[in-house]
Amino acid sequence: MNLNEKVYDISEVGSIEPEGDREIVLQIGPAHPGSGHMRIKAWMDGDIITKVDADIGFVHRTSEWLSERRQFIKAIPIVERIMLPDTVHANLAYVLALEKILDVEPPPRAQYLRSLAAEINRITSHLYGIGLFGIFLGSSTVYMWAFGDREPFIDLMEMLTGARITNSYIVPGGVRWEMPKGFKEKAESTLQYMENRFNDYNDMWVKNPVVEARTVNVGVVDRNRAIKLGVVGPNLRASGVDYDTRKASPYAAYKDIDFEVPRMDHGDTYDRLLIRIEEIKQSIRIIRQILKDIPEGKIIADSIYSQLNPVMKKVFEQQQRVMFPAFFNQMRPASAESIARVEAGRGEIFFYLRTSGDKYPYRFRWVTPSFRNLAYFTDVAVGYKLADLPAIYGSIDYFPPEADR
Amino acid sequence: MGILLLIIWLIQDLLYLIVFPGLIVAMVLVILLIYLERKIAAKVQMRFGPLYVSRKVGGALQSISDLLRFSFQEFILPVGSDSIAFLMAPGFMFAFAMMPLIFIPVGPYYSYLFPSTLTILFSVALITITPIYAIIVGWASDNKFSFIGSLREALLVISYEIPLLLSVIAMVIVYKTLNYIPAVAFQETHLPGIILNPIAALVFIIVAIRSTGRFPFDITEADSELVMGLYTEYSALFFGIGMATPYIELYALSLIFSLLFLGGWWPASGHATGLLAGLFMPGVMVIIKAFIVMIVLVFLRAVYPRYRVDQAIRSGWERIIYLGIIAVIISILEAIII
Amino acid sequence: MSDKGKRKLRGNIEGNARALATGFKYLVEPNRMTLDYPVESMKLAPNYRGFFTVDDKKCIGCSMCEMVCPPEAITMIPRVISTTGYTLPVQQGATQEAGAKPAKKTKRPVVNWGRCIYCYFCFDICPVDAFVSSNIHDLAFYNDADYRPSYEEYLKLPEDPVKKSKKVIPKPDIKRGIKYEPAP
Ligand code: SF4
Ligand code: SF4
Repeated sequence: MNLNEKVYDISEVGSIEPEGDREIVLQIGPAHPGSGHMRIKAWMDGDIITKVDADIGFVHRTSEWLSERRQFIKAIPIVERIMLPDTVHANLAYVLALEKILDVEPPPRAQYLRSLAAEINRITSHLYGIGLFGIFLGSSTVYMWAFGDREPFIDLMEMLTGARITNSYIVPGGVRWEMPKGFKEKAESTLQYMENRFNDYNDMWVKNPVVEARTVNVGVVDRNRAIKLGVVGPNLRASGVDYDTRKASPYAAYKDIDFEVPRMDHGDTYDRLLIRIEEIKQSIRIIRQILKDIPEGKIIADSIYSQLNPVMKKVFEQQQRVMFPAFFNQMRPASAESIARVEAGRGEIFFYLRTSGDKYPYRFRWVTPSFRNLAYFTDVAVGYKLADLPAIYGSIDYFPPEADR
Repeated sequence: MGILLLIIWLIQDLLYLIVFPGLIVAMVLVILLIYLERKIAAKVQMRFGPLYVSRKVGGALQSISDLLRFSFQEFILPVGSDSIAFLMAPGFMFAFAMMPLIFIPVGPYYSYLFPSTLTILFSVALITITPIYAIIVGWASDNKFSFIGSLREALLVISYEIPLLLSVIAMVIVYKTLNYIPAVAFQETHLPGIILNPIAALVFIIVAIRSTGRFPFDITEADSELVMGLYTEYSALFFGIGMATPYIELYALSLIFSLLFLGGWWPASGHATGLLAGLFMPGVMVIIKAFIVMIVLVFLRAVYPRYRVDQAIRSGWERIIYLGIIAVIISILEAIII
Repeated sequence: MSDKGKRKLRGNIEGNARALATGFKYLVEPNRMTLDYPVESMKLAPNYRGFFTVDDKKCIGCSMCEMVCPPEAITMIPRVISTTGYTLPVQQGATQEAGAKPAKKTKRPVVNWGRCIYCYFCFDICPVDAFVSSNIHDLAFYNDADYRPSYEEYLKLPEDPVKKSKKVIPKPDIKRGIKYEPAP
């Protein structure tokens, strides 16, 4: 398909009329087991998809609007709730952008803890994706397995932050809690458990002949097309492009960490499944390194720490809990703008923050990976069969609220 | 005197149809099977499965509570549907799924409602009728998803009926009879059918999975594509009937499988004629075997995702049918030897 | 969709056998992850972010928590400080302390549980660390009004609704992922 030929006619947007006698139009969603919170309009010629249109916006949450009308600190829970399987990354991306404006640099230990939380989160996010992919292909077992195996990792997050999903762990200048005692041992046994589980996943799911039949050579996106379509994240790497924000512009502790960016060659649905498993393996490797190499020191920048009152400092010494200086409430950063990029579970988050010296952000803008992968989904599914639609849709690991923001 | 015999004969047959191994036993087994299916899947999937309805017995009454729920739900007739077909088709489907049981004997001394020596032929022929009503269901619903589901059903039926017949023909060639009772007798004196012709058994099992919509051939009801497939527009008891039909089919096919391949009522084939030893014991034996087959088939849900419709059709025409032909050839060779 | 670079499918028999064997392995040796919830329940770590209340004596009524709360769940209600150091409702305070020197007016936070997202920002912004946390989290209310407690109700932490259940502690385990051990 020549991309240049594809012209979106605005009058076409609402139209669901089939073209010609042979076509029927399927409205998959928004209340459909295979759609998520969106509507997929599929024009079908027999069993072949001739056109797909994704009707999104059902779970639009006005995150940008809300954040532009609140103090800076309040955007942390807001962005988290947009990317629920991937909260730490959303939190991290926003805080990175804010830190650039506030000009605070977190200490190394905080950097490592951020990476630690981010990698645990990446594992849970990928497991979430694998699980949903499973149910889209009809395997409830993998769905349950992936969600079950997510549990030990969520437990780790709970131990670290006190909440399971919406951690609000990262604040400007560092992180909010010190790593608790006994965390390393628990993390190690969880990682070993997950490594053992890969065998079962292989036998039951990855090498299951039915899965291979359903996914191999389905939804192929080659390298050039992937770049052209603006794919991000694991989906891009499944098409053979070696791009990872953690390597391209390192943030948190990724400069000091030795890891590989897995890559696949074919760019089909099967590769998009494999890449997630490979990335979990890499994340396990990163977590091990972090636990080994994490430097001692404070978990909050000195510029923030020095603003704490004596009570708060005492609390920090006793409980290793960072309290907020009063200025978090009345941040009025000078007029400036900043961007931040973070490699989230589903791809790159891009954050743009503009301040005007007011207590609210002047412009708060973010582009989430799911949104960028959606455009690609509507393009890829054309030419495949109806039954491939859930396979492709599941494999791109699309999370509707993340795209709608 | 003649009339009395006729009445006894009728009552016996009605009991046979309605109580054992017919409707009531079938329903009980289906309810038990659905429960076990959910429990088995839950075991593999690291969870509990049904539990809260009747905690003391591990949630065993869950299926009954579901049945009750279906019975008292509001029934919705979609506006665009062909109402007569919409209402009648599930009933017919269920009836035709039950019908093969008339011709499936569960004991050596069993009198038929329709005395016949062609029971294998009749039962298999009746099994192939149900899909017609599945197609009517899809048509009558006036729903694109149901329609696609019924088209898929039609395509799959065409591609899997021939292997079914081939595998049955293979066994008929070995047993040299079209009647179940001599076929079982043959297995008692020789070997069970599954050893005589494993290929035919394999083909039969695959077709059984396919025609009852078990995984990995859960194609007509693929929920991530077709919502609920054929039954998208159905609600209340009609939905319940639609859901139970494949299980009844599964029951019939498993009975046929245990008769043709697993030696039927062996080893409980007492040559007594009493009600207990003559009908009940062999019957229980057959049903136990059939139930094990059913459990194995529902276990597949925990292992497989589903195939795409074209892959299933292709494997039907490209692989299974050749397996069926091989099975027939093996049988011919065996028939010559024995 | 060119045929170029198309992959071949692997052999079928081994894959099927392995998948079935794995399924069977879990059938005979299930690794259950779910908790039988109301019968057993987790004993959560002390740092778990659950329902919380405020230390009436410590709070200085500075309204920082109200300001920081992202969903605006906190309302400051006017109170007066009694001689004991605890606060009283405004009217009551006025009658009791009549004649004495005028009661000192102050404010105290009340959380609307229907809005709170348990981010604990209020904890961290409080200059005197006046909030008291608990790890009770599994609580829902029958009425909408119950989500908005009065200050007196808010001061009492809600009771653990699954107090009677068997308490277990989740332990990471190499073989089973999570093992629930009975809490001491
Ligand atoms: S925990 Fe968060 S949401 Fe709840 S009252 Fe405190 S600041 Fe507000
Ligand atoms: S921040 Fe602390 S001291 Fe201030 S009003 Fe809230 S609870 Fe009271």
